Amino acid sequence: MLNSLVAGLTSGGVYALLGLCVVLTYRLVAVVNFAMAGVGTMGAFIMVSLMDLGLPWPVALVVGVVAGSLLSALIGSGLVRWFGEHDERTKAAVTVALFVAIGAIGLRLFGSTSTGARRFPTVFDSPAFTLGDVVVPQSVLVSLAFAALITFGVGLMLSRTSVGLRLQALSERPGTAQVVGIPAPKLAIAVWAAIGGVSTLVILLVAPRLGGDFSTLSGLVTTALAVAMVGSFKSLPLTLLGGVLMGLLEGFAASLDEIQKYRGVVPFLVILVLLWWRSRNEVWDTAHSR
Amino acid sequence: MMKRSLTSVAVVAALAMASAACSSSDSGTGGPIKVGSINGVTGLFQTPEVPQAVKAVFDEVNKQGGINGRQIELVSKDDAMNPQRSTEAALELLESENVVALVGSSSAVDCGLNRATYTNAGIISMPAVGVDPACFTSPNIAPVNPGPFKLITAMLYYASETLKRDKVCMYYTVLPGSGGGIDAAIKEWTDLTGKQLAVKDTSVGQGDPTPYLVKAKAAGCQAILYNATVGPWFAQAKTQGMQDVDFIVAANSYTDANAQAIPDGLNVYAGTEWQPYTDETLPGNERWAKIIDENKIQKTAFSQGAVMAADLFVQVLKTVKGDITRESVTEAFKNMKPIDYPMVGTPWIFGPGEAHSPIEGSRFVKVEAGKWKVLPEGFIVPGKN
Repeated sequence: MLNSLVAGLTSGGVYALLGLCVVLTYRLVAVVNFAMAGVGTMGAFIMVSLMDLGLPWPVALVVGVVAGSLLSALIGSGLVRWFGEHDERTKAAVTVALFVAIGAIGLRLFGSTSTGARRFPTVFDSPAFTLGDVVVPQSVLVSLAFAALITFGVGLMLSRTSVGLRLQALSERPGTAQVVGIPAPKLAIAVWAAIGGVSTLVILLVAPRLGGDFSTLSGLVTTALAVAMVGSFKSLPLTLLGGVLMGLLEGFAASLDEIQKYRGVVPFLVILVLLWWRSRNEVWDTAHSR
Repeated sequence: MMKRSLTSVAVVAALAMASAACSSSDSGTGGPIKVGSINGVTGLFQTPEVPQAVKAVFDEVNKQGGINGRQIELVSKDDAMNPQRSTEAALELLESENVVALVGSSSAVDCGLNRATYTNAGIISMPAVGVDPACFTSPNIAPVNPGPFKLITAMLYYASETLKRDKVCMYYTVLPGSGGGIDAAIKEWTDLTGKQLAVKDTSVGQGDPTPYLVKAKAAGCQAILYNATVGPWFAQAKTQGMQDVDFIVAANSYTDANAQAIPDGLNVYAGTEWQPYTDETLPGNERWAKIIDENKIQKTAFSQGAVMAADLFVQVLKTVKGDITRESVTEAFKNMKPIDYPMVGTPWIFGPGEAHSPIEGSRFVKVEAGKWKVLPEGFIVPGKN
């Protein structure tokens, strides 16, 4: 039991990272981004393909991250230009369409589950320490540190810096932000580019644990959305906690023979219960604001 | 009046002669021998190389004069792994195209959906790749691959008898409805060897594999059968220090990409369904490689099944006496004698009976430096090695 919990805990960091990407996009540009993992996967696959061609990994990494940023910026500029005035639901629907399109292109370019498995660089794979029967590799610490950096770094940036304030204004009242002189479209596209780069890094970090082919990795957005829900798409620290919780729950579900068949479902059930618990005091017809 | 009726008699006679001439040149039923197949070409299960390879074999036969002067024509339908399209494809092949048999199907949904249709129509199907359990449990379907269940028995047998591992474990992801088939396959191994699985876990899905690997370590598994996603499982197995465990993956993982995705230092074997396609000098592979190369088809294990199904069909077709019709073809397959085919471990036969799973055993390959290496033992057929 303890072993399984520890084993589950080791994946908390990667789940948190996925969730944080979604919350970050929502906080900064007010879009529920279904294409997030797809964009990151595209960047990651460009990187490993370049490495297969013999490029040294630092060069491939930079090209991959830039590719992810560009793709994300492209999506962002499309959303800003054509869907800027639309509501969140429409924007989310557009990213769903893009997620499907990116998935189809990725399947074509990089192969299916059985033919497209890639080996991702495992730079931080050496064991950091052993806890019970579980070997904890450095990558776990790196993921957790990266997740903490995003959580607290972005939190500080949003509340303490002028760029952060502008970003907040942009996401909450884009029209007003533009009126008071914030270059809204440019700033938004820059944010999209940054998110694309971060997503690529995140996918590269989670790939050795959660999937080696294009469709599995781009499909991780469902896990990411579930984690993001714990933080109500709003709170970065709660999202970080949500990721750790998700890992723990998976480990727990794997440890009990009776429920191990439903391992994939248990975390989602618990999150559903959490959401219900949190909304218990809400009055009927409450406007759900961000 | 008289003259007129004479003319009409002459016309009728001429018509009759012309039609007789037509049918005699086509040996009775007229036109080519139409053969159908249902293949996943688009969609999630993609095997475009299979109908291409079947057609290549038929073209070769046609160039040498066909069967009794008749050409063989393949009508392949893409079902895109879509149940609706698969059902429609079967009806179209049976009713509009009037095919005499189905040869070289490769669809993830065909057998389960269309088994009753084939039985009712009295037509036989010999899939190149039997994917779902129904392919191996239907009166009118006999695939040319061992299929997932016979493969499990062979993998277990390999683990316990060839690799001589005491604690054999199984970590599988299962399709709905195949649990019974897996239990039967394990029982077959238990009956042969008297051994039991140390751990059987069929709940592997997506997500971090670490909890499973940690459990396997704690249970002392020495050999692990595994059939799900390769990349993360083996990356984490290495992290958890499982270099002394023999991992045996199923045929679906036997791809070049997977060999490269498995980190060095782990012992990973794969059970194959036909002679490992990565070595073209193996018995039976020479012919396959020649056909595939000449027609510039993608080299995969599935294309081996395609060539095998087409070859066997032609061999049986040659034994049909009289007209080649759906009835005579079905009869020939139900009464045929076993045929040895070098690409598999046991002879192939259709025969009578309510279920067909003629091919047993598997040949094993092992990952070495990012490539699959063929092991020298030859085919491992449970109970015979």
